Amino acid sequence: MRYTFTELGQGLRRNLSMHLAVVLTLFVSLTLVGLGALLKMQATKAADYWGSELQITVWLCKDRDANASCLGEVTEAQKAAISKVIEDNPEVAGYHFETKDEAFEKLKETYVGKFDGPNSIITADDMPQSVWIELKDPEKFEGIKSAVSGLDGVSDIRDERDTLGPIYSAINRLQWGSLGTSLFLVFAAILLVANTIRLTAFARRREIGIMRLVGASTVYIALPFLLEALVTAAVGVLLAIGALVAFENYVVQGQLASQFVFIPWVDWSQVQVAVLLVAVLGPALTLVPTVVLTGKYLKV
Amino acid sequence: MIRFEKVSKTYPGQGHAALENVSIDVEKGEFVFLVGASGSGKSTALRLVLREARPTAGRVYVAGKEINRLAGWKVPRLRRQIGTVFQDFRLLPNKTVNENVAFALQVIGKSRSEVTRVVPETLELVGLEGKGDRMPDELSGGEQQRVAIARAFVNRPMILIADEPTGNLDPATSVGIMKLLDRINRTGTTVVMATHDHGVVDQMRKRVVELSAGQVVRDQAQGGYGFSH
Repeated sequence: MRYTFTELGQGLRRNLSMHLAVVLTLFVSLTLVGLGALLKMQATKAADYWGSELQITVWLCKDRDANASCLGEVTEAQKAAISKVIEDNPEVAGYHFETKDEAFEKLKETYVGKFDGPNSIITADDMPQSVWIELKDPEKFEGIKSAVSGLDGVSDIRDERDTLGPIYSAINRLQWGSLGTSLFLVFAAILLVANTIRLTAFARRREIGIMRLVGASTVYIALPFLLEALVTAAVGVLLAIGALVAFENYVVQGQLASQFVFIPWVDWSQVQVAVLLVAVLGPALTLVPTVVLTGKYLKV
Repeated sequence: MIRFEKVSKTYPGQGHAALENVSIDVEKGEFVFLVGASGSGKSTALRLVLREARPTAGRVYVAGKEINRLAGWKVPRLRRQIGTVFQDFRLLPNKTVNENVAFALQVIGKSRSEVTRVVPETLELVGLEGKGDRMPDELSGGEQQRVAIARAFVNRPMILIADEPTGNLDPATSVGIMKLLDRINRTGTTVVMATHDHGVVDQMRKRVVELSAGQVVRDQAQGGYGFSH
């Protein structure tokens, strides 16, 4: 064991520049993977709240509605008529009603602490009821729009495609951009790991030759290599986690969340998922090539 | 202790066989010279014993076990029973004599107390007492080969394989090395030595197996190197 750790220390010092290169590429690629995952979760989270591109929202009349054609709160009979029209439409994949309470809960989630308690300026009663309609094809929405818009009890129809479309496609592009870039970097990291192993195996060829000859086990011979890989992976992963935490803390919480309150931003529980992904991916990226290549270079 | 049964070995991409239908039987405690010109198959035979290579046909037994069927993870255990010495010593230049010998024990997981006990004993056996703290490049060729023998023998293997151990040494030094190998042989260790050093073979009068173009052309108890060389 003592030999293994001296060897580990020597190995890390001998190829310091190589190890640094591995650490840095791992750091950047894992950060990008983590950011990609965060963006994906951001897109899901926004879609849960705002509805996806496939959704249109039909606001129903409430008391004192801004729309003059509304004659007070929507009635159950009107709602039944609306749902009949929606059900009969072939473009609809599914729909659900949102009550006043649900709408108010959503509002409270977005503006935490602002509308709590009995003296809130807005209450559930001020919220409109709505119907959330899932479309089969986001391009074919005109039919349902015109079918619903004239009905009694309908105040307004929000077509998400215009507002959300650009946002979603931007998130989508960023997400694939970061994942695609990280793919190249991951490839570079694997090549660097492979090169490091080759160099180390060459530098230690006398020792390795003697170890094999006197009957050291393959695991024993490969152990310093595996530990080196683990150490570089650990450093890379820690840096990437640091970057993700900093991103959440300074960029998301510090900037975006306070400036764009109408969007629910990824929070620490999503960061945890990204961190977990990075923590698993990092060691796997260095250990798998190490195991494969030590098997090749250190064959008994 | 070592048995070759109709062993043939052809390296990939080579037309002729390195060994062809070779049968040799080495008893426990024997001392055997493997002689022959370069390329006659001596080194291949030794590689087969260590399972650094596998025969193309035939079987190799070491200590009663057919080693070509041995699972890869059992190979280290086989090699712990075999000590190996080379023409070029193969010492680690950045380690002292003590460390070089201890290395062979450390890497197979022997305890530190055993290492500190056995290493000086073995150095004394090979005639290097008091030189444990020297570096290999401070030693003569003969002394370096003694360190290599100490390393090969420190784990008390059943078999000692020597591939041209006197190849880099002058005749007087070679005699010393041969005496040492003879002493090790007398402890019950089977010794197989590949060589083309006439003087050494003629002087020792041990069993001689001569290979030529991969075939056994002579197997003679108490032989000399031969006439043709």
